[in-house]
Amino acid sequence: MGLLKFPLLALLLTALPVFAAEDTDALIEKGAYVARAGDCEACHRTAENGGAPLAGGYVIDSPMGKIISSNITPSKAYGIGDYTEQQLADALRKGINAKGQHLYPAMPYTSYQGMSDDDIHALYVYLQQGVKAVDQPVPETHLAFPFNIRQLMFGWNLVFLDNQGFVPKPGATEQTSRGQYLVDNLAHCGACHTPRNALMAEDNSQYLAGARLGGWVAPNITSDKVSGLGDWSEDDLVNFLKNGHLADKAQAAGGMAEAVENSFRFLSDSDLHAMAAYLHSVPPIRDPGQTERIVRDVKPVDMSALETGQGDQASLADATGLDGARLYNSACSSCHGRDGQGSADKFYPSLSLNTALNGNQANNLVMAIIAGIDRKGADGAVNMPALGGDLNDAQIAAIANYSLQTFGNPALSVSSEEVTSLRRGGDTPLLITAMPYLLWGGGLLALVLVIVLVLWRRHHQHLRAVEAKRIALNRRFHSN
Amino acid sequence: MNQDFDADVIVVGSGALGSNAAFELAKLGKSVIILEAGEHIPRWKIVENFRNSSNKGNYNSPYPNEPWAHHSYDEQYIENTGSFEFRPGMLKLVGGTTWHWAAACWRYLPNDMKLKTLYGVGRDWPLEYSELEPYYVRAEIALGVCGSDTQDQSGQGGGAFPPRSSPYPMAPEGDTYLFQRLRERMAPAGYHFIHEPNGRATEPYDGRPACSGNNNCMPVCPIGAMYSGDVHARHAEQAGAKLITDATAYKLEKGADDKIVAIHYRSSTGADVRLTAKYFIVAAHGLETPKLLLISEVANSSDQVGRNLMDHTGQGLQFIADEPLWPGRGAVQQGGIFNRRDGEFRKERASVKHSISNNVPNIAVAKRLIAQGVYGKELDERIRHDAARWVDVSTVYETLPLQTNTVRPSRTRKDALGIPMLVVNYEVGDYVKAAKSGVTEDYAHFVQLMGGTVVEDNTGYQNRDHLMGTVIMGANPKDSVVNHECRTHDHANLFLATTGVIPASGTINPTLAGVALSIRMADIIAREV
Repeated sequence: MGLLKFPLLALLLTALPVFAAEDTDALIEKGAYVARAGDCEACHRTAENGGAPLAGGYVIDSPMGKIISSNITPSKAYGIGDYTEQQLADALRKGINAKGQHLYPAMPYTSYQGMSDDDIHALYVYLQQGVKAVDQPVPETHLAFPFNIRQLMFGWNLVFLDNQGFVPKPGATEQTSRGQYLVDNLAHCGACHTPRNALMAEDNSQYLAGARLGGWVAPNITSDKVSGLGDWSEDDLVNFLKNGHLADKAQAAGGMAEAVENSFRFLSDSDLHAMAAYLHSVPPIRDPGQTERIVRDVKPVDMSALETGQGDQASLADATGLDGARLYNSACSSCHGRDGQGSADKFYPSLSLNTALNGNQANNLVMAIIAGIDRKGADGAVNMPALGGDLNDAQIAAIANYSLQTFGNPALSVSSEEVTSLRRGGDTPLLITAMPYLLWGGGLLALVLVIVLVLWRRHHQHLRAVEAKRIALNRRFHSN
Repeated sequence: MNQDFDADVIVVGSGALGSNAAFELAKLGKSVIILEAGEHIPRWKIVENFRNSSNKGNYNSPYPNEPWAHHSYDEQYIENTGSFEFRPGMLKLVGGTTWHWAAACWRYLPNDMKLKTLYGVGRDWPLEYSELEPYYVRAEIALGVCGSDTQDQSGQGGGAFPPRSSPYPMAPEGDTYLFQRLRERMAPAGYHFIHEPNGRATEPYDGRPACSGNNNCMPVCPIGAMYSGDVHARHAEQAGAKLITDATAYKLEKGADDKIVAIHYRSSTGADVRLTAKYFIVAAHGLETPKLLLISEVANSSDQVGRNLMDHTGQGLQFIADEPLWPGRGAVQQGGIFNRRDGEFRKERASVKHSISNNVPNIAVAKRLIAQGVYGKELDERIRHDAARWVDVSTVYETLPLQTNTVRPSRTRKDALGIPMLVVNYEVGDYVKAAKSGVTEDYAHFVQLMGGTVVEDNTGYQNRDHLMGTVIMGANPKDSVVNHECRTHDHANLFLATTGVIPASGTINPTLAGVALSIRMADIIAREV
């Protein structure tokens, strides 16, 4: 037997290239799809728009500093042309590159850790053979102390990196299981939609309950009927992911617009339905204090009250006014209408039936005014001009407050100072604001102590979780 | 950068041409200062000013007319000594006069640039179409031009022309119903309807949304879908250029070796500042650029500065068609009829372009009816009836550069800064007049084909705001101001970015050519500084 085995293996090996030639195209196609679903391009793009795909250099403005995405084209000098499949798998699942360095969790390896072997194999073949090598270096990432010590990630990973691979939720169907794999692992939705704890790891007690980042709010996408997506149909969700907007509900902006443009609009309907079905199964979490979504009955403003004639010549250049009604009607109403209802075909969205205004946070309203919206969806491209250069913070607050009072949730208000903060990227995480004190107070030691404490606690939680999953799995596979 | 200079390059004027040159230079790492006579005014404020204006037909009225930065409709600012009231809409603010244009982005035809050689009249350009072509491509990308890649823009019904090395950045907008119906009824008579390539985004482009048909291109696009010079003023600043507003340049200072060594500007506070640079670009509009050269006594060894003033002097036709055409939907113009754009006839008379205006006509319609004594319910009904059927043709003539058509600094009138205002002397030339009978013929034919009732078919000659010739380009330093690079013959480090350099006007709006020349000059300057 032993003697027979080897010639057979040799035969198989020599036959392999024939099969491989046929399979490579399919693998490349599959790998390209995995790359889309994993939204690699969102970060591994070039610093300038329109550069070579996956050539890296894009600057990710993380709370810890500027992290520069790497070149993941098959360039041997500057990309991952020398990577083995195992090395790619380690980068994806463990956050360790081929040099053995720890990656920063801007690379969502805590999500990718659940990627299947098949997907990693296809992705590897695609990245090595389906992508044009770009022989261009990207600048090194240089974070400030202590974040420049990549070894710190070792401890962080011990605590926060769940390395069990993909484990379907109890009661999963084939569809929701696929949806969970996409949501949790490839599309790494939690990276934005799950809030982070004091050490910047996803807080799974608030799984997909919404988080703030970069000034924007990644909204609650649990199945809660008020705060989340509970009142969206599965088709609603699919259409939103595909097109980036849903009439009288919401529109993708900021990071979500990028996710639609680079990833979701390319996904198959069955995958989008799987994601939607899974999201509907996510336990509801209500935003604190929210009881309803406001629906307003809006009357158009009487323009004769606002159009009072020109003043003197100097007044024509005086752009310092702070009257929200005037500012709204000059800067916004050409598209959204005096009554805030947008256009009849909903190309210009309603401002009253709109999650950016009728929810319980105004961040996305303010950020859309500052940064605009620029998005390609499956049904076309849209642009809302960025007005941050044409309006000062007090004016943006005035427009936001007028819009909230007139069209949206009147309980919300925005101050000029809040606009200033959002313009700078919003709240700074405690870890960052506390860092000078931590360092000053002999800090690193304190930090290590904190990590050890959390680690100890997490280790126990982890063991319990593993056990729970094992039980759940057993139940699932023995219940039929 | 050399520490001995304030900048590598100083650009006077932040309009479409100056800003594009400034942006190209800043992008290449050159230190650039832009001087702008007016202020930065955000779009929303201009929209507010427009809504508050009691004269919506005055396209300058939403823009400030300050005593230190007059716009061209100020009664004092441009004095006319000729029989033609020459008064183009000119603005002073960051972004310049493209705040209110209709964004027509035609290319010249190869023949337009060889008028003297081919037809024995006027002047040739000192460069060939093929030399300008790659810069036309870059200008179209900069301005975000949408256009047809298949039409014969020479108006002869042939294949795609003029030649292009690259397709338009964006596909054209859909045909308006007005355009469709006119074409359906008039094309069988041999009139070729050509889509107007234009700087309106038809999909999101460079931070601009797609045009949604506010029909307000003039005096201001309320959403910024239409290109205006402020786009590149902003890009230039983002690329590192320094923009100084309220800074009216009043003197180019000549050094020992015929180089320009410094520029002097004055602000409304009265402060005078002198800035030095290695190179200077004057991009201050076709009227103000020659004025600055003349009051600085530079670049005029040819005595051609301020002469050869051209506009595409025009005329108009309005009639009421026999069917509703619904003008006013979409952009304010979409193209027109170019049958008389080129041909042997140019030896004797001007080429002609008929543009179909697509403005909401209600104000013009209502004024006319009220003047006729129509009131009350009948007035409402007639406004609806006539406005739906209103056809407005805006015609332009090619003009020739004439020594006697001039712009000069005023000897008697000064602005609040003590800088001379403008004096223009303009007469409509015989070359234009010789083409008028053909236009009259066309008008009668248009009206007949559309079963129309004439409202006005003899408007007299009109301004078209296309400034050319005033700092004319040519190969011979004795009879021209700048060479093919837009470099002044007299001063190796002084360039002019203005449509005022254009020596042969053709019939097309010259801004795109001006931007192409500005990008080209930035390339040239970047190689030298």
